[in-house]
Amino acid sequence: MKTTKQILSILLVIAVFCAFNLSVYQLLTRRLSNNFSGATQAKMIDVGKYLPHEEGSELPKINSSLKLTENLPVLDGAAALVPVYAAVIDNIYPKGCVTYEGGSFSDNNFYGENFAPDSAMQYKNTVRGYQAIVDGTTDILFCAGPSQQQKEYAEEKGVELVYVPIGLEAFVFFVNENNPVDNLTVEQIRKIYAGEYSNWNEVGGANRVINPITRLEGSGSQTTFESFMGDYKTGTKSFLAVTGASIGFSFRYYMDGIVENDAVKMLSLNGVYPSAENIQSRSYPVVAEFYAIYRADNENENIQILIDWLLSDEGQRLIEQTGYVRIN
Amino acid sequence: MKNRTYLIILFSVIGICAALTIAHFVYAVYAYQHSSIIYFIAKELWR
Repeated sequence: MKTTKQILSILLVIAVFCAFNLSVYQLLTRRLSNNFSGATQAKMIDVGKYLPHEEGSELPKINSSLKLTENLPVLDGAAALVPVYAAVIDNIYPKGCVTYEGGSFSDNNFYGENFAPDSAMQYKNTVRGYQAIVDGTTDILFCAGPSQQQKEYAEEKGVELVYVPIGLEAFVFFVNENNPVDNLTVEQIRKIYAGEYSNWNEVGGANRVINPITRLEGSGSQTTFESFMGDYKTGTKSFLAVTGASIGFSFRYYMDGIVENDAVKMLSLNGVYPSAENIQSRSYPVVAEFYAIYRADNENENIQILIDWLLSDEGQRLIEQTGYVRIN
Repeated sequence: MKNRTYLIILFSVIGICAALTIAHFVYAVYAYQHSSIIYFIAKELWR
């Protein structure tokens, strides 16, 4: 009898730990398990779908009047803008200018790509991309505006960067598709992130804790978010907020055109949905420009030719066809 | 089962379970910091 009780007590301890870990798994770990590449690192975009001059790539084709054959500017950029600058290379650059270490494309390493150092296409994403443009290893960077830290890095190195707006994009907030909230005001979102609202029922939603999620410091969306917050400071949240109903932010095309996850939905802001029409008319309240960025002292004359082309009707059509909104 | 044996087994089980739980938490914290927030929100539980 005594032994039976002892065995049962041990089994009870095991059951309690199992139940606790299963709960954590359901609430948290399960939602993280599919977010990694084979190398268990963050993979933000499947670059393999946007390789220039490759059969089956999803890049738009236009009949471009501009063709570059030599002194090709090296293009790099943010994850969300890979389709744009890859399409520029696809339509304007000669075949063979995009090269890979080992000869063929592979995405089984950090950020997933093995572009050779002499390739005209690179993918370093925003944080490393800003360093690359300042350090001179990239000629044109396609990105959102710089963070304060990135501006300071350029100043420290004595480098002047030129920012040319080439397209428009909506900065969007999104929630799970089952969240009953479809619309928030700009003020409500600022107050959510400032910690003034901590439950969805305070903004017309369900009785669930709000989990406001931010991004990596220096990323394009985080820099835009900090600008969006204005005088509001991002508040601290309880550790348990991670079990609540989340709100996150991104750029419209990254969500809608690249990730295409139907289980999340973009919110209207002040009653305006982030559609292409509402971005173009600027009736959506948070429209951001994205830029082609280059060093003022870069002597490659093709940079200016390429920038002029991007701002021409042809270039703007290409930007539209990749899913973004033209700037003019 | 002698009391001493029982206690050794009990504390061993608690130790192993606690170590596995800590490992689970360490993984979850690391993964949370590196995950895509779109997938994280997409997999949220709603009844």
